[in-house]
Amino acid sequence: MNKLQPINDRSVIQEEVTENVKNSFQRLIPLCSSLLLLCFSCIPFELTFFDYARSAVGLVCVYYWLIHRPDIFNLFSVYILGLIADVLSAVPMGVNIFTYLVLYLLLLNLGRFFNGKPFVVTWYGFAILSLLTIFCKWLMVSIYYGQFLPFVQIVFGYFFCVAAYPILSLLNAFVQNYLIQDEV
Amino acid sequence: MKRRRSLFIHLSYIRILAKKFAIVILFLSAFVLMLLNKTENVLVEKTSSVATDMLSPLVDVLVVPARFFAGIYDYFGEIKEVYKDNQQLREENRKLLNMYDRMKVLEVENKLLANLLNYEIPPEAQYMTARIIAEEGDAFSHSVIAYTGETDQVKKGQVVLSDRGLVGRIDSVGHMYSKILLLTDINSRIPVMVEKTRVRGILAGDNTSVPKMVFIPLDAEIKVGDRIVTSGVAGVFPAGLPVGRVTSVEKKNVTVKPYSNLDGLEYVRIVNYGLKGIIEDE
Repeated sequence: MNKLQPINDRSVIQEEVTENVKNSFQRLIPLCSSLLLLCFSCIPFELTFFDYARSAVGLVCVYYWLIHRPDIFNLFSVYILGLIADVLSAVPMGVNIFTYLVLYLLLLNLGRFFNGKPFVVTWYGFAILSLLTIFCKWLMVSIYYGQFLPFVQIVFGYFFCVAAYPILSLLNAFVQNYLIQDEV
Repeated sequence: MKRRRSLFIHLSYIRILAKKFAIVILFLSAFVLMLLNKTENVLVEKTSSVATDMLSPLVDVLVVPARFFAGIYDYFGEIKEVYKDNQQLREENRKLLNMYDRMKVLEVENKLLANLLNYEIPPEAQYMTARIIAEEGDAFSHSVIAYTGETDQVKKGQVVLSDRGLVGRIDSVGHMYSKILLLTDINSRIPVMVEKTRVRGILAGDNTSVPKMVFIPLDAEIKVGDRIVTSGVAGVFPAGLPVGRVTSVEKKNVTVKPYSNLDGLEYVRIVNYGLKGIIEDE
């Protein structure tokens, strides 16, 4: 009986280690899936409307995960995603980081109004917060270049961004439901 | 023992402070990055190139299945057009052969005249074809990433062309991948001229699909439909490269529609004209 005791302990430790590793990987899933979507949005398609919807990907991912799983998609994830978006795009380095941090800051204070609410409410929430975020980005880039960027393009971009929310949130919901366990 | 304890207290205090002010620190870092970018810091450019090199293979992997499905769709769509295209190409080929003969005669004549005038012929351009693997065009910036880099002798500032005309210039070069700044981007400034009247100006991108021609003389005669080509001023772009066609002429506003389809670039030609007009990285 006494000889069996250490073997049991070892298996318990092994199980714990496996569980910890599994949990750590699961915690990275939102960031990795967002990164994958971000890279996917860079694929060249001969569709003009796709250009407008491109900037929506990062915003929707940040919004979705901060609303639904703020425990595993934290400030650090927001920063990394912003940095990667900056690297992939031709906007000045730091602009996308700034944009996503603005969205994070807004959600930190207003997120409770949209969490656990019906889909339409979260969509409205995204429409309002993304408007503020895109406006901040427009202002920041305009200050950087010392000239105002064409406003019509930004408005188009915003509408496509809001229109793309259901599809992109559906993809994120798929990742959340099938790849992430609730207790992580 | 006491010293170790106080050190531990200090570290935990710093950690709490960092946690409390993390968002402020990250905001500041974003501003610092923007400032460094504004000053065209070499370190930021190099880091960005390395990061692009690391991320681009991921996009490249995703492109393959996406292109496959798009290819199937296009195949069935284009099969109808093949017969018509074939007829057109035969006709075009006949015309091109005629033009080729004429060009050969002109080439010889040109060489003879150049020798006569002791004219120094500029070095021949070196071409390289690259595949576009990522596109980044929205209201804030217009650029693409091409599968070519330092290993293929690509350098910052080199001219990028499509089969129809000018696309832009190389913005940053990584080991395997390069970022191309499109002529529609807000950072793009290209010295151009009207082909017919030789009126010079600068083609300034503004993140729309129709960049504006600025710094034009007040009495300049520009009409809708005029061909715009590079003027060769500043020594980055050689003279005569087709850029686009004038689409509208208002008081101080001349817009140009580029010949190249910048939304659907698949392959581009990177051309080294051996010009030294752009400031190279240290």
